Amino acid sequence: MTAELDHKPLLTHEIGSLDKPGWRVKAYAGKPLDEKDLEEARAWGERLAVPEYGKLLDLLRHAPFGKEQKAEIQRWSSLYALRLEESAGLDVVYDGEQQRTEMYDWAVNHTNGFERRGSVRAFDNKYYSKAAVIGPISLREPFHNAEFSYLVSVADAELKIPVTGAYTIADWSFDERYDVDTDLREPAADRRRKRKAARRDFVLEVARSLIRPNLESLIGLGAGWIQVDEPGASTEADELDLFVDSFNASVEGLNATFSTHLCFSDYNLFFPAIERMSQCRQFAVGFANYDSRELGTSDEKRPGYQVIKKFRDLSYKPALGLGVLDIHSDFIESPELVRDRVLHAVTVFDDPSRIHVTPDCGLRTRSWKVAYEKLRNMKAGVELAREALRL
Amino acid sequence: MAATRGIDRGRVGADAVDQAFADDQAAFVRVQTKAGMDFFSDGLLKWQDIFRPLMGALGVKPHTLVRWFDTNTFFREPELVGKVATVKNPDGVVAAASVPRPRVATLPSPYMFSRAAHSDQDRNRLMLDLAQRVLRPAIDAAVAGGAELVHLEDPWLGYFGIKLQALHHNLKATLAFHVYFGDAGPHIAQLLRLPVDAIGVDLIETDVAELGSVWDKGLVAGIINGRSSILESLDNTVEVARHLADTVRPRNLFLTSNCELGYLPTVVAEQKVLRLGEAAHKAKELASV
Repeated sequence: MTAELDHKPLLTHEIGSLDKPGWRVKAYAGKPLDEKDLEEARAWGERLAVPEYGKLLDLLRHAPFGKEQKAEIQRWSSLYALRLEESAGLDVVYDGEQQRTEMYDWAVNHTNGFERRGSVRAFDNKYYSKAAVIGPISLREPFHNAEFSYLVSVADAELKIPVTGAYTIADWSFDERYDVDTDLREPAADRRRKRKAARRDFVLEVARSLIRPNLESLIGLGAGWIQVDEPGASTEADELDLFVDSFNASVEGLNATFSTHLCFSDYNLFFPAIERMSQCRQFAVGFANYDSRELGTSDEKRPGYQVIKKFRDLSYKPALGLGVLDIHSDFIESPELVRDRVLHAVTVFDDPSRIHVTPDCGLRTRSWKVAYEKLRNMKAGVELAREALRL
Repeated sequence: MAATRGIDRGRVGADAVDQAFADDQAAFVRVQTKAGMDFFSDGLLKWQDIFRPLMGALGVKPHTLVRWFDTNTFFREPELVGKVATVKNPDGVVAAASVPRPRVATLPSPYMFSRAAHSDQDRNRLMLDLAQRVLRPAIDAAVAGGAELVHLEDPWLGYFGIKLQALHHNLKATLAFHVYFGDAGPHIAQLLRLPVDAIGVDLIETDVAELGSVWDKGLVAGIINGRSSILESLDNTVEVARHLADTVRPRNLFLTSNCELGYLPTVVAEQKVLRLGEAAHKAKELASV
């Protein structure tokens, strides 16, 4: 991150994922595209002023697609998503993870030592693919380099790369390597102790042998800001220290700006463990999901943001990426609602340069239309807050 | 999964989703039949979480997304504002006609339901209201639909003075209360005082030695780990079952998983169901010798 951005009050950015357009999904899966798909590509190309989008339309009309054509379509999808975020006015952008299958699946598919086991429900009718660790973990190949190199060549705004963190990868995996022999006739306390020790070995091996080399590779390509995504971080309340140890083992001594993303948790659980996470320059945290939709900046009007005081009081003074958009709802937050959430946070922190403004999480479960409207209103709300604060 | 994702995005119709559910349910019934299960479940395949069909029956909206204990699965808080209405048509909890009998019906315990809800009511009052006005009608509907085992799930440890009489009174089915995601050991004495026919424990978290030997109810033994992809050894599972029968000496021994199998991919869950059936079959054979 540049020094200018580092100190920009109310910096705006996305968190990570966006939905993949129908034309990108179908083309990649080898399914036939229809006129609706082409119209979607045309309409968004026009709306976002994607340069030369007519070339994409030509390409989409020439199915079936070979490997190189599919890769080209993925790059187009990246470009569209990048332009969506730039067009919404965000200060820092990425490509909505258009070239990845999914945040967990993509990582383990580029890693030695894992084997797929199938899909498991996350919530509602949303599922994620789950693998088991079965052998020594190592990076098969750096798995974000190609997308990052491409985005550097086409982005106008600053980039922030979302990378799935070690704790989440381990937590979302089955363990068939570290803790395997269980006899229920053994004392439960002994079994529990063995399980915890095995878990620690697993998480730290992911940090050292997978995440860290992948980060080093990105930094070698010039990556300045890397966001370590840890939606699983607070899954086990007694493992917050392990989460912190895994973050530190992943980034310690590396020369880049590191932040982390946390969501859908009781954030009180993170304290005091994250007091030891001093290399984390920003915590991007989802709050809107827990908040009221009423306007107002008082504590009573902003019940979802009560815990932010604890982030304010961290001794190393990280920024707070303030989640202001509920990503599980098509409700479009008004600029005034975003403004009030931001003003509340600025009042609590008494320092607008420590408040960044973001959605609660990646927007991949929303349509592009909804995601775009939400992001535009987020930006408009930030402008209202700037006016109110005379920034 | 593909069908539900498709309908969310307007890419497939409701017929395709119904067909996909029917296919999945038929596959799950086949696995249970092959495993020789004594009770059949519909797998709750249409349930987006343990509360959702009951919320539908109550006509209340799903609220905020909340993590389900220490898993990577989330549920929506049931929004229960004001007095709870009496459920009239809890059809969503009744298994489809294609599920063989006898059936097991799975429901949330009233304690868990009352604690998981987003409510402005007193929690204890809410618990009683949910038991009488929501869960009992749901249980009656499930029993009328062929359930002979009603399985109340309760991972919420720490509270056992629960009023279960309303559920148990004049019930022509076995009522089991299953505690999971935690060590039930320190609470065994209290659990055994509950007015139910059987107590379920999570043996992944609970010491077998803590179960004692004065077990005057049925024991629902959670011996298959529903959160691990490692398939249990047949011999060890049988040995554990025999050990439980010999040392705990429950009135009836039910073998099951420690928690739902929804935390496992379908193919792994199927292997576990088959292993459970295999182990139960072998344990029964050995017991009859």
